[in-house]
Formats: sequence, C-alpha cells, structure tokens
Amino acid sequence: MTDRGIQIDDVTVRFPTPGGEPVTAVDRVTQRIPERSFVSVVGPSGCGKSTLLGVIAGLQPATSGTVVVDGRVVTGPDRRVGLVFQEDSTLPWKTVTDNVRFAMQIAGVERSEQRRRALEAIELVGLTGFESAYPSMLSGGMRQRVALARSLALAPSVLLMDEPFAALDQQTRLLLGAEVLRIWRRTHQTVLFVTHDLSEAILLSQQVWVMSYRPGRIIDVIDVDLPEDRDASVVSTPEFNQLQNRVWESLRAESLRGFRQESGVGR
Amino acid sequence: MTVRQPEVAEPAAPPAGPAPGPPRRRRVWGDGQLSALATAALLVALGVIWEIGSAAALWSAEILPAPSALFPALGALAGDPRFWADAGRTGLEVLGSIGFGGVAGLVIGVAFWKAPLVGRIFEPYLVSFYAVPLVLFYPVMIVVVGLGTPSVIILASVMAAIPMALNTWVGLAGIPPVYLKLSRSIGCTCWQQLSRVALPSAAPFVLAGLRLAVVYALIGCIAMEFTTAQAGLGYRIRYLYDSFETTPMYAYILVVLTVSIILTVLLAVLERVVMAGRSRS
Repeated sequence: MTDRGIQIDDVTVRFPTPGGEPVTAVDRVTQRIPERSFVSVVGPSGCGKSTLLGVIAGLQPATSGTVVVDGRVVTGPDRRVGLVFQEDSTLPWKTVTDNVRFAMQIAGVERSEQRRRALEAIELVGLTGFESAYPSMLSGGMRQRVALARSLALAPSVLLMDEPFAALDQQTRLLLGAEVLRIWRRTHQTVLFVTHDLSEAILLSQQVWVMSYRPGRIIDVIDVDLPEDRDASVVSTPEFNQLQNRVWESLRAESLRGFRQESGVGR
Repeated sequence: MTVRQPEVAEPAAPPAGPAPGPPRRRRVWGDGQLSALATAALLVALGVIWEIGSAAALWSAEILPAPSALFPALGALAGDPRFWADAGRTGLEVLGSIGFGGVAGLVIGVAFWKAPLVGRIFEPYLVSFYAVPLVLFYPVMIVVVGLGTPSVIILASVMAAIPMALNTWVGLAGIPPVYLKLSRSIGCTCWQQLSRVALPSAAPFVLAGLRLAVVYALIGCIAMEFTTAQAGLGYRIRYLYDSFETTPMYAYILVVLTVSIILTVLLAVLERVVMAGRSRS
C-alpha cells in the first residue's frame, strides 16, 4: 500500500473565543483521500470545512492530530500543495501571465520554463487570448480561472480548493465546475474541494464528506458512483437526484442545528 | 438546460466580460491632451490680463511687475552664480528631506503594520504631530544642530515622514487578507511577502503618502530658509523682499513655483506607471 494521497489522522482544531470557552471547529477527524481522487466536503456554513482545509494546506496549525500529504507530515505550507481561495486572489497590478508566473517565480522556476508552463496553464483553464490582460478587465469567473492556473502551473500533486466559486453566479459556477472536472481528468491531482453547494459537490467528486456543525465532525461519507467522464448534464439524471437526496438527508439535521445555534434559537 | 461538452477547449471565447482593449486608454490620452491644452490656454490668458493690467497701471510695478519685466529678470537669474548657489542648496535640502523623510516614513509604516501593538501605541502621537506646524521647532533645531543645511533637512524630513508613515500604514493595513494567505501558501519569505505582495498592493496609498511628503518637504525647506538662513531660495526671496527688489523677488517665486509643479508632474507620471492596469478611480 502506498502512502501517497492525503491521510488525516485524528485532527482537532480549537479556537479561543473572547467568551472564554474555546470553539471546536474540527473535532477528531480521521479520513483518507486516495491519490488522484477527487473528494468534496459539504457542510453548513460555519462548520470547520475551511479550517480543515487550512490544516491540510499547512496554513492553520492543528490543536492535535496529524496530516500526512504524500508521505510527509504537514508542518507548514508546501509548494506541492496548490491552493485556490474563495476570495479573488489575483494581484491587480500583474497581467494574467505575470499572475500565473508569480508562484513559479517565488518557487525559483527557471525563466523560460516559467513562460512555457504559464502559457500551458492559461490554455488549460481556457484563458488563451487574455495573457496580457489585467484582472480588472476580467470577470469574477475568469479571475478564479487565473488563480487556478497559478496553482496548476506549479504542478502540485495535491490541489485544495476552498469554495472557489462561491462568489460567482449559478450558471458560471456550473460551467466552471465542468471545466474543473475536465482539467482534473487531464492532470489527475488529489483534490479536496470545499463547498456548500450539494450539486457542485456531487457533480465534481468521487466521494462526498458531510461535515457537522460545531463541533465539526465528518458524519457521513458518500461514494459518488457516477461515470467519471460525466459533464454538467448529469445534473438532470435520476441517479444524481438520488445522491443529492442522500446527501441532503445527512445534512438537513445539521444545517438546522447550525441555523438554530447561529440565530440563538436553540440556546 | 443545455450544457456543452467541455472536452474541447474554447480558445478565445471565455464567458462574457468586458473585453480587454485599448479604447479606454486612448480616451484617457485624449482627456490628457485636452487638459494640457486648457492649462496652456489659461496660462496665456492670465499672462495677457496681467500684462494689460500692468500696462494700464492698475497696480504699481512695485507690487506686481509686468510679465514682460519678469522674463528678463528670470533670464538674468540663469547667468547669476548666486542664484545657482541658492538653488543648489534648496534643491539639496528638498531632495534630502524627500529621501530621508520618505524612507523613514516607509520604514515606520511597515514597522507599525508588522507590529500592530507598536502602531497602536504610537499612532496618536504621529497623528497629532501631523497637526503641529513643525516649523515652530526650527529655533530649537538651530540651537541643537546649528544654523545650516542639516537643521533644515532634519526638520523637513520629519515633516515629510509623518504623512508617508501614516499612508503606508493605512495602505498595508487595508491589504485583502487573501493576498497574505496566498503569499504564505506559495512559500514567500517575509521579505518577499513585503516586497512582492504587500507593498505593491499598498502602492496607491504609499504614492499618496509620497505626494504629501514631497509637498511637506518643499514647504518645510522654503519656510525655514525664509525665517532664518544664510542662503537658499527661501532666504533669497525674503532678502529681496526686505530690500524692495520686487522684480527679482517675483522671478525667484516663479522658480519655486516651477520646481513644485515639476515635482508634482513627475509624481503624477510615476503614479500613472504604478497604477497601470488597476482600474479603481
């Protein structure tokens, strides 16, 4: 058995609060993502989805537990792990090409190699023709493509995406989701995709984890047995609906609980 | 809902968005030319009115000499070694103050950002210093450092550093947090984070600070020369004023005005270069 992929071992993250009692954002999560597979995490907003992703990325220290990525224990950010954020992370003073090259410059990739890989990544995300445009000339969806290209250009073995399309409209989301799937089929990284959109999760992944509202635990793991070469049209098939109902079933009680706690009804 | 099969990458038809293109830039150029033309026309008109007023003796030449008398005086300055000595000294003072004040302000702004506690402690003093006419401390400076260039440069540097520090700090504090997350995730060193991400992101604010720094340095230097100094453009203006040499005095004033306009234009050019591509106005 190989130790490539992501191994999450008994990870707990607690945050101190001004009130004194610490909040447990992630509670004893133990999961494994096999190499080259695509896993999504869904859960009510405010559960520890993004925190869990931050731990895997090495941006957020775990209170206890360990994460092993491709056989190495995570202690800090690692360039073999690509990140795509929810917020627009394109740098407005750089052109599309320079934005994509930026991560490679920091990583010390050779100049000619930078150019070649940047153009390749830009082509992969479908932004050919916009190489010298500035982010201010692009739509939100296109900027997220730039951010994705920046991560892909580093050729990471693991790609972590933190609700990358959350700020986009439904149509753009669906189309970008299909793009991500197409790109993943070509590059086949190990992907962890955080989202609060059930259909997005099912459309993209091979496995969906359902996370509970505080404390954040993985309460259900659902294998998505849809064909791997699916596209966005799969959304209207009965199998898809079945899966969606199944995930929603798991999630409903949690969402309600989260909603009640956040609005102070249940206290 | 129809969904296309995305296996075939669409080369040049990503989702709709404003097309990148030069039309906007070209229009800005047009605006620039227009305003340059308007400025020139305005100056000429003002000059004509001024000349006519002088010729008609609406005011005495002692108070405001005619442009036709001023230009020869300006020409005479160009051949006057004393003028060049004065201009050299003031230029050194102003550039020195911009340099020292700008760098000090930048460093202070970065330090306040890196150590928020230090920032919180010192911010009130910095802000209140902003409101104090620092020229008042010039006599103290003379006592401590002595009469001459250094005392002017020190005080004008302090004046320039304050707006620079405050603006740099505000700019850095306003960076979208995701930029810092990005820089950490791709493994930037502390210095790379500052030089490649944080400062470029805060550049519009830093530049606004630099603009103020330049203005304050200029005001500070000229004003201090004005009060107590042995040389410099400010000193010379006061000297000429005291000895009723109105025409050369105005020539000197014109020189100072021209220098300040040149500095402003240079900064505007710098701002245009830095702001290329960012559209937030």
